[in-house]
Amino acid sequence: MNGNSRQQVIPPTHSSVKAGFVVYSHDDQERKIIILDKGELAAVDNSLTPRKVHFTMQPGDLVGVAALLEREPFRYDLEATRDSEITVVSEDCMESELKSIPLWLLAVIRELSARNRQRKEALRRSRAANSLVSLSEFCRHLKKGEPYPLESLVQEFCWQTKACAPEVKEDLKALSRRKFVEIAGMDPVVTVTQPELLELFVDYLESEAQEKPWPPLQLTLNQKKALVRLSITESDLSQDPPAWLAFFQKNNIALTAADWIKMQGLGWFINSKGDLFAPDSKKIEYFLLALRYEINLRGVL
Amino acid sequence: MKLSAGDFLCLEGDFASSLYIVISGTLSGTGSAHTAANPRLFEPGDIIDVFSLLEHAPREYTLKAEEDCEIQVVEHEQLKAILDEKPSWLRSIIEFLIRRNHIGEENARKSNLVQALPSLLYLLSGILKEQGGNTAPMATVSARAARMNGTRPEECHKLFKVLQELGVLKIQENSLQVQSPELVHLLYETLRYRALEQKISPNILSMTDQMVLTVFIRLSQRSKDPLRNGLSAISTADLKKESKKSMHGMTLTTRTIGALVEKGILTPSTSLDFHQPLDQAEFFFGDFDRIMDLLELNRIFPLLDKKLVE
Repeated sequence: MNGNSRQQVIPPTHSSVKAGFVVYSHDDQERKIIILDKGELAAVDNSLTPRKVHFTMQPGDLVGVAALLEREPFRYDLEATRDSEITVVSEDCMESELKSIPLWLLAVIRELSARNRQRKEALRRSRAANSLVSLSEFCRHLKKGEPYPLESLVQEFCWQTKACAPEVKEDLKALSRRKFVEIAGMDPVVTVTQPELLELFVDYLESEAQEKPWPPLQLTLNQKKALVRLSITESDLSQDPPAWLAFFQKNNIALTAADWIKMQGLGWFINSKGDLFAPDSKKIEYFLLALRYEINLRGVL
Repeated sequence: MKLSAGDFLCLEGDFASSLYIVISGTLSGTGSAHTAANPRLFEPGDIIDVFSLLEHAPREYTLKAEEDCEIQVVEHEQLKAILDEKPSWLRSIIEFLIRRNHIGEENARKSNLVQALPSLLYLLSGILKEQGGNTAPMATVSARAARMNGTRPEECHKLFKVLQELGVLKIQENSLQVQSPELVHLLYETLRYRALEQKISPNILSMTDQMVLTVFIRLSQRSKDPLRNGLSAISTADLKKESKKSMHGMTLTTRTIGALVEKGILTPSTSLDFHQPLDQAEFFFGDFDRIMDLLELNRIFPLLDKKLVE
């Protein structure tokens, strides 16, 4: 990797230019780097009336690196504002010089150039890791039952996240297929009927992405039965663990101490006082909804 | 340099003046942007820590060999020796690229913050509605912002601080206490309107409108009459008298108050004929909280962009 290959190097050209001379035109086909050695250059936009000076260059300044290394268009004309001396590094010159440097230095230059390009590209893209999670998170905050014009909704979401509209529309269809949103009408409108389902879906997708099992879909048959029983139990019923196990037993649900520990871990009970526990109705509703909509969540409709 | 699987090459934050090139094997890099669960992998041909070589910057990653690896180390002295024997323009180009990287990095940081604000406000407003109060758990807001927009925790925190400095919220230990949930929503809506309609939002008021509303609020606060359904009523005579005092002798006319009536912020006691004197309406009423939120929005909004890029 030290690659100190010696090849013929094409030297840069040095020129003296008079004030007013156009050193580099924005429509020049040839890409080059201009280094100002003496005098002053100005980057001007002649398409505007009056023409606009974007910046001036002082000795030691250079332009054209992005045009040469990153193939970016050069948008201005470069004119000498007074008699100046310049060094022009043409594409051939640059290439020959790059061939003569060690490979690691070439890699460094490429890395610097690539970082700039990647950063610019990244600024144009959505930063969300999963477009469906991102859209679901957005939709869960929409007003329940309110019809939103699809186009405006997509536009608003794209503005917030920089997602691209066609992809968002596909994701909306995916949510609609799962019955989490409704899309209807000639001028389509989107309606969220149950925002809680979108909350579940976000959690489900997050678990999937992390390759972790999602607790609501990991329950045993008895735990499911216990969940259903709890959903119809008064939420102010507060008792200690043995009494709860006896309660389930009485309802023909055979649970073990391990089941009790698991249910506690899942947050189905809140410690109301001392050793007493009461059902957490919100948590129970969450798990119950997950069971009821398992097929929708998995997307196997 | 040879590394055996499991060996550590360097620690994030170590000061150094060399870069690494992976010749063979795979290294995993963890640091602020890459957790142990989601490390960045470096494979043959990858170069690591360019800025340590160029500017003695701290190491970006803690590097660990995932398998037996061969690494080439390039020291700053080698770079200096090469550049000394090369034409000076090559050094200029490298320096230019370094400068551009720093500028690009700073611009990206600012741009990401500006871009993250609307979704953060949107989510905060939604979470406040869910919770039905003035407080939102900070971790919930950050987690949802990360999911929806890829916003990093440190970006969320910076935005929370900006909003705190503007008086929109207070950062408490684990939660955010907002001054008014409606203000968060208004702020979001105003940003949305500006971006999508490419116009100034109707929520942004002229100086005259703001002065009239300030007078209205002042009189409401002084008034002994209780609010009815959140509405405050102020007599036209009081409005005119107080306006003259507070608005540097300016006379309140039907035309002056007209914009606020058209926007539905103030409602006259009788329908207003814009060609008749203001006294045609005996009093004006308006939603006290809404007007307070609008005044607060108009105080904050002009400061927002500047605060974000500070």
